[in-house]
Amino acid sequence: MIISRRVFLSGSASLIVTSALSANAVAAGSEKTNLVIVMLRGGMDGLAAVPFVGDNVLSNARPDIGIDNPSSITGDFALHPRLENFKSLWGKGKASIFHATSIPYTGRSHFEGQYLMESGGVTPYLDKTGWLGRALEGGGKKSLSISLPMPLILRGGSDLDNFMPSRNRLPNDDILDLLANDYSQDDMLSNTLATIRKRPISMMNMRKGLGDQDVWGLAKIAAKQLADPGGPSIAVFDIGGFDTHSRQGGDHGEHAEQLKQFDNVIGALYENLGNAFSNTIIVSLTEFGRTVEQNGGSGTEHGYGTAILMAGGLLPESRIIGDWPGLKKKDLFEGRDLNATIDARAVYASITARVLGTEHKKVVKDAFFGADLPDMTKRIFG
Amino acid sequence: MSPKPLQFNRRVGFGLRPDETSSPNPLEWAQNQMENTPDLIWPGRIYSEAEMLDIRRDFTISEAEIDETIKDPEESRRLRKKLYNRSGRHHQAIYGDQPVFERFWHFWGNHFAIVDKLKLPVFNTGAMQREQIRPLMTGRFADMVYDITLSWPMIRSLDNFLSRGPKSDFNVRRKKKNKPIKALNENHARELLELHTVSPACGYTQDDVINAAYIMTGWGYTNGEKGWEGKKIGFEGSLHEPGTHKVLNQKYKASGWDKKTKGRKQLRALVEDLCNHESCRKFIAWKLCRHFICDDPTSEMISLVTDAWKKSDGMLPEIHKAVLEAAWRFGDNERKFLSPETWLLQVARMTGANWPGDPSVFEYDFNSDPSHKQTKPVAVLAELGHLPFRAKQPNGFPDTEAEWLSQEYLVRRISLINNPSQIGLPNNKASGLEIAKTVIEKNIDDPKDKLAILDTLEKEGSLSNRSYPLIATLCSERILKV
Repeated sequence: MIISRRVFLSGSASLIVTSALSANAVAAGSEKTNLVIVMLRGGMDGLAAVPFVGDNVLSNARPDIGIDNPSSITGDFALHPRLENFKSLWGKGKASIFHATSIPYTGRSHFEGQYLMESGGVTPYLDKTGWLGRALEGGGKKSLSISLPMPLILRGGSDLDNFMPSRNRLPNDDILDLLANDYSQDDMLSNTLATIRKRPISMMNMRKGLGDQDVWGLAKIAAKQLADPGGPSIAVFDIGGFDTHSRQGGDHGEHAEQLKQFDNVIGALYENLGNAFSNTIIVSLTEFGRTVEQNGGSGTEHGYGTAILMAGGLLPESRIIGDWPGLKKKDLFEGRDLNATIDARAVYASITARVLGTEHKKVVKDAFFGADLPDMTKRIFG
Repeated sequence: MSPKPLQFNRRVGFGLRPDETSSPNPLEWAQNQMENTPDLIWPGRIYSEAEMLDIRRDFTISEAEIDETIKDPEESRRLRKKLYNRSGRHHQAIYGDQPVFERFWHFWGNHFAIVDKLKLPVFNTGAMQREQIRPLMTGRFADMVYDITLSWPMIRSLDNFLSRGPKSDFNVRRKKKNKPIKALNENHARELLELHTVSPACGYTQDDVINAAYIMTGWGYTNGEKGWEGKKIGFEGSLHEPGTHKVLNQKYKASGWDKKTKGRKQLRALVEDLCNHESCRKFIAWKLCRHFICDDPTSEMISLVTDAWKKSDGMLPEIHKAVLEAAWRFGDNERKFLSPETWLLQVARMTGANWPGDPSVFEYDFNSDPSHKQTKPVAVLAELGHLPFRAKQPNGFPDTEAEWLSQEYLVRRISLINNPSQIGLPNNKASGLEIAKTVIEKNIDDPKDKLAILDTLEKEGSLSNRSYPLIATLCSERILKV
């Protein structure tokens, strides 16, 4: 087992112990596949992240917020210049884009949309569990959310934990015993406390200094857990701030900064997952895209179709996937938004099936209420 | 009489201080607090909203100067001021004598959440809650919605000052000069419908949102100079979309002849109709019951509130009293997991902790970086994951156990009490035990089993850790949940 220099220098004794345990698990030959979902709240603008450059419809519709220096990837599509790590993985054949897709929700409310992107249903606030949680239920895989709350998307699953570094320390075991006893009549409290007590020491020791703005640092922590064969296989990130009604910016500015945050997650995971990157896929998720045209205020309004960005070693090559509906007025949803030609849930079902080593059909049944979702496995992984 | 008067007190208030006694008639005690707005009791200086806007302006100018003159990013970061604002909110909750009113104040502050951006939490959110929301709580809901819609931080954060009618005089002139038009911004109109009044359950369409946005055009800064935020909100007719606009099947005509004010009254009429809509009554009543009673309020709880609303034409004191009555009548067998801030405030009030600390410590002039002591309350709230002025999205903070109870949130509450001096609690075992006993005796209706736990702790001598009795009490199921 080679401990990377960085871990060795910064790690405490307990970290090294965990690493040694991991080495044993590797020797046992377990091949863990990992899924990382990055939720982008506020409505990620798929047309800013992956602009269509095949004609000038988009640049005419967005005179003040166009992307001036897009990184070219295909003749028709380009990447936002701040997606540098994504671009570099694209060059390595380890990044793909599913364009013109969305969850099946056209109501343009953030909060309904965010609920549905996590619940996987079609009625806001109805289902109390999340699609990923349901897909994982009983499967024996561990999940870790890098957030303070337990996000809806994971609820309903077993073996869930969530995490953000903090400075404070837990008290000793005997007082936790006392609390466990006190919580025994309350399932939610007692399960929550039980998970805390099962956490590896390494996790409780990585509790210094990071704010939730330091996504690179957070992703590094997640990478360490994901790379551990005994650790979680599922990680969820939560990045907000994509709701740019004013001063959205082009190459730089608010939307660009948020895309950069997403790109940082990808970069930090790539750099810190080591060999585990080859068994990992990182996927974006948002509630809706944004209007084709800029609004009063050099921003964009709530829209419909957007893009899903994927990166990771599980991808066979870099591709743009989807059925492009076009950006002419008549092609737009209600004359204003990029259309979605494929239900995004089909994409998530196929990806989840690949990671869980099961069939698309089964994930659709477990996670998406048996909705009519075509199998995208071949288009993504074939 | 409800068999659980102490539970009721904590469900709608902040619990009893060590020197307080329970009222013989808790419901009346709570309802009486709804009639008048209590004065702010924070003894230190509280800046007015107008002063804060001036300070904001000075600050913005000085930051712009740094941006212009200092090109080294490190140096520029060093020169940028760290800021903090004290609002008196915690002092009010812990030491005030209308704690139930304060709980409702927190509720409305969160209902009209201002997003954490553009330094709004530092300069504007607290001032708006103190000067606008508080006094409006004794009037009609519709008046509250109208005034808050036109409050400076709401207009700023939801971009309405950027919204212009596509056919407004402003854009007609631009078209003549062959300039691209600067059109609508839907952001604020959508949230007015979705979050502040009728909610999506009422079934409005994209057309309704656009028409509400037309009605709102023209409302923005009236005295802005180029490139700077203005300090007053008003109506500018040249930016308003002319004509009649239809929202939820109601038509709103633009009345008046003066071009400067034509269409000004449309918003008032729209807000009145929205607030008088059945969906609005149901949505707000449901949200209030969810906050004060349980995560899934029943229809009998909700209809008690909507009935009071109809009878009183939306008078907030009557609505609030009905919520309290519902909590009293139907709340005994419900359990409500408290938000981190409410829990912290209950902990402070029930223990008599010295929180947030000596007022003189918090005197602050916005000219220097705040001291460690000054930022401590913010640090503690950040640790708990609940900075009430820093909502990430305009829907504010959530309000259910599923959202607030997670591994990480729970770790943080336990760790906080494990180091009780952080929140001004004494750090020695004898007083820890005594405080814990007082909290239980004063605030738990049937305290026997809880007191027994403390007895065991005391007898077993496992009090080696001085925070144990406090953790066993303040992080117990009975205190985390009401």
